[in-house]
Order: sequence, then C-alpha cells, then structure tokens
Amino acid sequence: MIEVDGLVKRYGAQLAVAGVDLRVRPGEVVALLGPNGAGKSTTIRAITGLLRPTAGRVLVCGHDVVRAPLAAKARLGYVPDRPYLYPKLTARELLRFIGRLRGVEDGDRRADAWLEAFALAPVANELIETYSHGMRQKLTFAAALLAEPAALVVDEPMVGLDPRAARQVRDLMRGHADRGHTVLLTTHAMDVAEALADRVVVMHRGRVAAQGAMAELRASAGTGEDDLEAIFLRLTEEATEGPPPWGPSAVDGAGPSGGRVRPDGRERGG
Amino acid sequence: MRFPGAPERRASDGTAPNRRAPARRAPARRADLVGLRARAFAHAVRRAPGRYLVGASLMGLVAWGTALLVDRGVRWVDAYPLIGTIADAALQRSVEAFVTVLVLAVAFSVLTTAITTLYTAADLPLLLAWPLPAERVFRLKVFETYLASAALPALLTLPVLVGLGTARGAPWSYYPQATLAVLALYALPVTAGSLLALLLMRLAPAGRVKEVATAASVLLAAGLVVGLRALRPEQLAELTPEEFEAFLAGFASLNLGASPATWAGDAIWNGLSGAVSPALPLLAVAAWGSLVALGRVAAWAYQVGWVRSLDGSSRPHDPRPRPAAWWERPLARWGGGGAVVVKDLRLLMRDPTQWSQLLVLVALAGVYLVSTASLEVEGQRFRDALGTLNVAFLGFLLAGVGVRLAFPVVSLEGEGLWFLRTGPIGATAVLGAKFAYAMPPLLLLGLGLGFAQAMLLDVSVNLASASIVAGGLAAIAVTGLGVGLGAAYPRYDATQAAEVPVSPGGLLYMTLALLYAAGLTLLLAYPAWTTLVDPALPVWSTPAGQVTGALAVAWTAAFAGGALAFGRWRFVHYESGRD
Repeated sequence: MIEVDGLVKRYGAQLAVAGVDLRVRPGEVVALLGPNGAGKSTTIRAITGLLRPTAGRVLVCGHDVVRAPLAAKARLGYVPDRPYLYPKLTARELLRFIGRLRGVEDGDRRADAWLEAFALAPVANELIETYSHGMRQKLTFAAALLAEPAALVVDEPMVGLDPRAARQVRDLMRGHADRGHTVLLTTHAMDVAEALADRVVVMHRGRVAAQGAMAELRASAGTGEDDLEAIFLRLTEEATEGPPPWGPSAVDGAGPSGGRVRPDGRERGG
Repeated sequence: MRFPGAPERRASDGTAPNRRAPARRAPARRADLVGLRARAFAHAVRRAPGRYLVGASLMGLVAWGTALLVDRGVRWVDAYPLIGTIADAALQRSVEAFVTVLVLAVAFSVLTTAITTLYTAADLPLLLAWPLPAERVFRLKVFETYLASAALPALLTLPVLVGLGTARGAPWSYYPQATLAVLALYALPVTAGSLLALLLMRLAPAGRVKEVATAASVLLAAGLVVGLRALRPEQLAELTPEEFEAFLAGFASLNLGASPATWAGDAIWNGLSGAVSPALPLLAVAAWGSLVALGRVAAWAYQVGWVRSLDGSSRPHDPRPRPAAWWERPLARWGGGGAVVVKDLRLLMRDPTQWSQLLVLVALAGVYLVSTASLEVEGQRFRDALGTLNVAFLGFLLAGVGVRLAFPVVSLEGEGLWFLRTGPIGATAVLGAKFAYAMPPLLLLGLGLGFAQAMLLDVSVNLASASIVAGGLAAIAVTGLGVGLGAAYPRYDATQAAEVPVSPGGLLYMTLALLYAAGLTLLLAYPAWTTLVDPALPVWSTPAGQVTGALAVAWTAAFAGGALAFGRWRFVHYESGRD
C-alpha cells in the first residue's frame, strides 16, 4: 500500500508538487500520467525516499518514508527512468549485491531464476558495461523484484525494451499486483496505462488533475468514447488553458459533479 | 501549431500562401563550447552561492597565508649573512626547483586525467554527434584536462610568486609576466599527457585501451618517483657547514640547461626587476606551438581513438553460475554494510583509475622507507630527534594519502547512489561500510610506516611506541575525516577518484587533516621530549603519559567522529536527482 498525503515539494522558489494525495492499494496497478514537468518524477522520488517532502507525508505499507525509512524501503522496489547499474559488475554480482542489501534469503537461486526469466542467463557473468540498454532495463527489473517487494514503483517502464520484453514487463507488473502487491508506474505510453492500470492519476502543474478508473475519467472529461490519450490531452489542455468544466477547484481534486474526489478516486459528497 | 521548418498550408481558397523569399541562412557561428561551460559554472554558482563562497574564502585564506609565508621567508633569506651574497641566485634556483616539482606533479596525474576527460566523459557522445570538427571537441577537452590537472598546482604557484614579488618590491608588470610564465609552463605537461593519451588510444588493443593507458600512466608516475629518489637528497644531511655553503654556491650557479622550468624561472626573475626575459615569449610560443601541433594530431587520431575506446572484449561468454568468492562470505554476514564493501572491492579491482591509486601509494611508501633507511645518524639522541620529526611527518603523509584514498569513496558511488538511497540501508551503515573499506590500506600504511621507521632509525622504545601509536591514530582520523567530509561534500558527477578532492570539501579536508596532524604532533611532543631528556625514563606508565595517550585518542576520536557525524547528517539530507 502506498499512501501519499498532501505532498508538497519546493525547489527554492519553484513549486514542483503542490499538495498531492494518492492511494495505491494492494492488488492494484495505478498509472501516474502527466505532461513533462507535471511533477510525476518528483512524486515518485519522494515515494522512494530520494527526495524529502517539503510538506505532507508518504507511507509505504504503513511506514513513513522520512520517519522510518528503512522499514518503508524494505518493502519497496524501484525501477528508475534512467537506471544506472555499476558497469564493472556482472549481472550475477549485481543481483547478489541487491540480495544482500535487502536481506533476501536464497538470493543466488532467486537471482538465477530472474536471469533465466529475462533471458540474461547466458551473459550473467559478463560486465554490465557490455549490455545493451534493453538488457540493462531488464536487469533493473530483476533487481527491483528480487526481494518480492510489497510495493513496486516503476518510472517509465518501457523505455528501450523490445516488444517481447515489453510484453513480459507488462505481464510481470500485472502478475505482481495480482499476487496482492502494489504497483505504481509512470509512463507516457497511453496504451500501456490503458491496458495495465486499474486506475489512472493525471497530474498537471504539480497537482492531481483527475484520477479514477478509465470509465470515471471518461465521465470527468465528458467524452464517453475517447481513448486515454484523448482524455489525457483534454484534461491537461483544459488545466493549461483555464478552469475545467467542472469547476475551478478541480485541480485540487473536485469531481465531475462538483463533489471532492477522494484520494482513492471515488467521489465524496455531491 | 506549425513546427519550425514545416511546409506552410495552402489557404482555404486553394491559393498558395504569400511566399516570402527564403530566410537567408545566418553565417555559421562557431559554437562557443568554452562559453557553454562557463555559463554552466555560473548557473552552478548561482544555485549554491554559499558553497562557492566558503570554497573561495578558504582558497583565498590559503593563498594569503602562502604569500605571507613566502614574503617573510624571502626577507629572512635576504637578511641571512651566510648566504646573503648568493641569496639571489639561490632563490632563483629554488623557484626553478619549485616549479619543476609542480610540473612533475602535473605530469604525474595528467595521463589518467587526459584519458578520462578525452575518452570517457559523459558529454562526448553528444559533442561528437554535433556538426563540429572532432578537433574542436578535442581542444575543449584538452582545456578541461588542463583545468583538472594543472589548475591546483597553478593556484599553489601563484601565491608563492606573489610573496616573492612583494618581498622584492617588484613592479606591477612582474605579476602578469609571472602568471603568464606559470600558465604556459603547466600547459606543456598537459599537452604531452594528452598526446600520449591520443597515441595510446589509437594504438592499444581494442577492449583493453583504458587498462593499457592506465598501466602506462602508473609506470610513468612510478618512474618519476624513482627518478626523484635517485637524486638522493639525504646527502645534504651528511655535509659539514663548509660543504653546505659550497653546495649552496654550486646550487646558485647551477645551470639546469634549456628546459621550460628554467625558462619560467628566468622569466619570473627578470620580471622582478621590471625586465622582460626572452625566455617568456619562448615559453609562450612553446606552449602555444605544442597546443597547435597537438590539434593537428588530434584531427587524425581523436575520433578514431574514441570509437576504439568503446569497443568491448570479444571473448566467448561463460554462462555457468558462479558462487560467491571465498573472501565475500565473511563480509556477507555483515548484511547491507558488508554487501557495500564487497561491491566496492570488486569495483576497485576492475577500475584502473582506482587500483592505480594503490600502486602509486605503494611506490610512495617504498620511497619513504628507502629514504628513512638511508639516513645515517650517529648517537641515540640524534636518532630520537629524527624519529620525533618522522612521527610528525607521518601524520602529514597520511593526510596526503587520505585525500586520494578516503575522501573520494562516497563520491565514487556516482550515479549508482540510487541503489543505496532506495534500499533498506541507513546512512550509518553506508558510512560504516565506506570507513571499513577505506581504513585497511591507511591503517596498514600508518602502522607499517610507524613500525618500520622506528626500526630503521633504531629509536628508543618510548619513541618507537609513540611512532606506531601515531601511525595507527592518524590512519583512523584521516579515514574518518575523509569518509565523513567526502560524504558531506560529495561529487557524484566526478569521473574518477582524482577529481573528487578538487573542491571546497577537499580543501576543508586537507585543512582539518593538517590541523589534526599538527595537534597530534604537539601531543606526542611529551613522550618525544621525555625520550630526548633521558631515553630510559618511563613514559606510558606515568600519569602524564597516560593523560597524553588519552588526549591523543580523544583528539583522534573528535576529528574522526565529528567528521563522520557531520557527513552522516549531510548524507541523510542529500537529495538525489534534484532536476
């Protein structure tokens, strides 16, 4: 379970995230969407403990990322958008390092299983510096999933993956959620979000512009037939050009009927 | 929306839009690569002005202190009756010797720096993909190599020359002349190192280019150390006062031949009296000419060498599962901290820029021991006096070694820091792992040198124990200072260990490490003094000796613990990926 309450992040005078509320429940895949500079990556970095919130709090499985970082991070797996893997280690050595860091029992056996799953076993003893971008991305997934984390956070999962690996990663994230875990991903690939996510959160200018299941988003955007890309463009365009049709406070979480949208996506009051 | 360069649409009535004359292409401007770097630096200063202000203040303080020291020293030499008549020539030779040593120091590190800057810098793929001649990219990278390897020696030299100028009442024209001489002089080893890097990258076997180049760099460095050692400076200690005076006279009239260092010395010396030496334009032309010649070679060799540096090994894969090595298992029991140590050791063994530091360290330790062994001193009291000096020197030596071995260890995480920041490992465990990784070589060096110099000089038991204690304590303090301040002022963007200390944090480390060494020397003056009075007197069993020992331990703990606590606090509050 990932809970983000009133997250604010300032960089000096610049407000990057302006009060974000977000819930990702066990068994759920949530896609975090937004145009460039919307605050997605800052939100993700606050969840993973890479940044400290200016205000608000982030809980991972009930543990505050700032107050109890070790307990929170022990339950968190992370795949960054630009993963750097120590180039002078082999894939097997990297997974062994991660296994020890996270206290994974039987880490070597699990590492071998993941290397097999991603077809990296034949090159597992080669230095990572010789890997292609896609191979590194797959290895990053293996590293994130090695400890079977209760919450998986993935920043741009499909970058550099070939179609087979992309399909594999999609199935993997879905399977992880189906085993009762939490998956939060950011992506610019609308088809991935549409196919994979139980709920979608659209961020714009540091705030949650809208969130809910696809049907709820269609309803909120007033375009019953549109695909996610059209909804996304409409939502972010409206947020850019002026107040959206359901009221000026929508960016603060107002629902289509004027009631507040709860952090879990359902509307409150009416 | 219409993108720049997209064709205009036809009007709704089908008529073609008013077609203006095609925009004239602006004359191609030379992309100002150095200007871009300068702008990036200005932005960095604007973003964290306090940090740069502190760094600049520290540097200013060191420069002012150096200039003052040299000013006083020169005035003292001028007033000293024995060498007053030859002071001028002796000082000139000293200036030449000083710049020669610094030129060698630049040569010592320039090849590794050149390879890193010219061939492995992160911006190279972008720069070489731009429509720019590779030669221009190369020139930018040579400039960066110059800054990385020669800026610090130049900053050390300039205050010395300012002190010399103020002591001798030099005219204003002396200062720009001296500056030009120094900058031109240091350009020469940089061009030589860059040329060597070019040739190595062009000729070394693909897949092993960086390793071959680093090995060559280490050999060059070791050769320089051995060469300096071959001068046998300890012979000076064996001279009688008359022989020493004769040596000074000989030194003053010494002709080092036509070398760039003597040209620089000549230019500086003539500048003191307001004259312009012909050596100055000669030096400037030599520097400029070597840069131009280097550019010509780069046009032929640079881009091809860069492509070769990207080539990997083509040996067949071995997919068989490999268990953890035997030496990993005890460390693995430590959990996350042990995992970090194992990872760091593996990276050390595979990264030539890291393991080469250890080889240089071994060479330095060897020279130090050989130098100590060659000192022939008669009488226990003189041996003890020399041993006392060596105890003091040991702290300073370890401080200098720690800046390369301990200070960079946190920064070397580089972009891999995200593993530690998002993993269930606390700052205490990370810094503990870094301390455990950096301390063994320093402790081995400290205890080893402390023990070896006590044996080689055959000092009294009290002093021998003080020497070993000093080595051990200094190793702990220097490691704590290096790891702590390295975590407090990290440079995660540094491409190699040698770059990391070139920062305000590195300067703070050196200042505190030298302060620690000076303090430890003062504390250990008690056993040294007791030994000099009477070698048979007990020291460590007396209350005063025990208080001295406790104070030395407390002094060490204060520096190491304070720096580690400060580094831990800064590490916890460090924010990754603030973009």
